[in-house]
Amino acid sequence: MSTDTTNRVDASSRRSTEASGPTVAGLRRSRRTARKTRVAAGKAVLVVVLLAFTLFPAFWMLSSAFDAKAGAGGQQLLPREWSLSNFEYVLTEGGFDVFLRNSAIVALVTVLASALLALLASVAVARFRFTFRTTMLLMILIVQMVPLEALVIPLFVQVRDLQLLNTLLGLMVVYVALSLPFGIWMLRGFVAAVPVELEEAAYIDGASWGRMFRSVLLPLVMPGLVATSVFSFITAWNEFIFAMTLLGGATENYTVAIGLKQFFGEHSNEWGYIMAASTIITIPVMVFFVIVQRRLSSGLVAGAVKG
Amino acid sequence: MSNTLQVPSAVQGAPAPRAAGGPARKSLLTRSRPWLLLAPALAVLAVLMLWPLVRVFLFSLQDYGLREIVSGEPNWIGIANYGEIFTSPELYTVVLPNTVGFAVLAVAGTVALGTAVAVLMASLGLFWRTVVGSAIMIAWAMPAVTGTYVWIWIFDADRGIFNETLEALGLIDEPVNWFTNRYTFYAIVLLNVIHHGFPFVAITILAGLLGVPKEMLEAAEMDGAGAWRRFWRIIVPNLKQVFAVVIILSTIWDFKVFAQVYLMPGGSGSNREALNLGVWSYVESFGQNRYGFGSAIAVLLTLVLLAITVVYVRTMLKEEEL
Repeated sequence: MSTDTTNRVDASSRRSTEASGPTVAGLRRSRRTARKTRVAAGKAVLVVVLLAFTLFPAFWMLSSAFDAKAGAGGQQLLPREWSLSNFEYVLTEGGFDVFLRNSAIVALVTVLASALLALLASVAVARFRFTFRTTMLLMILIVQMVPLEALVIPLFVQVRDLQLLNTLLGLMVVYVALSLPFGIWMLRGFVAAVPVELEEAAYIDGASWGRMFRSVLLPLVMPGLVATSVFSFITAWNEFIFAMTLLGGATENYTVAIGLKQFFGEHSNEWGYIMAASTIITIPVMVFFVIVQRRLSSGLVAGAVKG
Repeated sequence: MSNTLQVPSAVQGAPAPRAAGGPARKSLLTRSRPWLLLAPALAVLAVLMLWPLVRVFLFSLQDYGLREIVSGEPNWIGIANYGEIFTSPELYTVVLPNTVGFAVLAVAGTVALGTAVAVLMASLGLFWRTVVGSAIMIAWAMPAVTGTYVWIWIFDADRGIFNETLEALGLIDEPVNWFTNRYTFYAIVLLNVIHHGFPFVAITILAGLLGVPKEMLEAAEMDGAGAWRRFWRIIVPNLKQVFAVVIILSTIWDFKVFAQVYLMPGGSGSNREALNLGVWSYVESFGQNRYGFGSAIAVLLTLVLLAITVVYVRTMLKEEEL
């Protein structure tokens, strides 16, 4: 079909050249290049506007964080007094060294626990056909959509009954549950992508199921496992409602997401400190995000579109 | 169409009974293996997601306050909490418009901007496509909490750059507090949510766009279809499924916007005009200690999201089996 159209176009352009002579064709060509330049210029403007809109908040955060006089009023686009004093304050007196440690512990435990549980479960739903399999998948899909506001009330009561309020352990347990459904959903695509023939070859070579899992499936699913882990890291690092509710008054156990509240005063907010702390919080997330970006988005779409 | 988007899947087209059990004989171990693998995850989900969902419904039928939390005694009042919600004038004048109206605007804005950016990216060369892709990745990766604080700082009444710029341009005489008015409050939330949400839409639709057969678009161009017509007549029908998924997921996310509202000045309940369903539920529960009433609101929010999810699942099931 495509060759057909090309032929037709070839024929028609040849005809027009013959009919109207070389000058008209030249004119038309120059008009076409003029139009092309206009389109390119329009695109360039759009790209610049888009980049400005997209990057401004991140830029403004950095600019304020490095400006010792941020929040004093009359701020310019670039810091008037470059300094690391905001970061210094935040990491020492601001208590962010402790919050960072807390967040790192919570995120690490969440990642390890949910990666293990999600991997096992995803192998089950991707590799086996069993009764209730579809029901199980639908349940996992639906559970992802439940709003946290609905879970926070009963889980607050539950964690309180277990006397885990104000502890990091209570928070970790909740985060594992929060990142599980999405983890299973994503890993399932990665497990399914491993050819069954490789597994069968392992069996023929006399491997048991456990051996096959360790030596064949696990190494091949590793990239997917990394992507999923990064996602649960980001969930645990950014989460806000549960940290605020379950940690309540225990300031020494705060995670970074709620530690920011420290800098909001009764009458004035220390914007330099807030932006420096925000920068510290945002950087690990951005680094991880860029690393797994491609895999994450293809996995997201795979989960979303494929079903 | 969907094949261009998904991770290559070995499941498709393969015969249903799989050889994953290894030896041909089906021992008890082989048959129970999927359940053994699922058990830990299911246990966690049952205790921390399903049981709480049952409990939030049970709470919603009680006058559940601090006393009930401490004693653990139930205090049934039937559907009185729901009655109070539906007879509260606040629901109709403030909460529903703030939730539904906001979600409609946010979804429309996110999908429109995301699609426009995807079309722009598809027309760029590899270098600029990578630049734009990295930039929107940064907007996407920005955590909701810090992103919200940055927007608050930009629109800060006393020293925010927005007010200072407007003053310098002579558009306003004195600083305006944009957070006290309900509409400007939600305009800032809208900007925040669209800025954070459009990259997902753009990346997803770009993946779909790059999968649309080039011949089809070229043929249409040869036949004289302009860019506008090519978009509506070829790209949209081809990406129907992708658009459906993106719209439904955005709707689900924008309905349960919480941190972006709660963290704003006055957003945590002190400005009643700024409440949406999620924040209302949280504020009633943890601010007023009316956990039963808050649970009833949360149940309603969950039901709305569940209805949207059912549409989502059916859209996906239409495409292929799970």
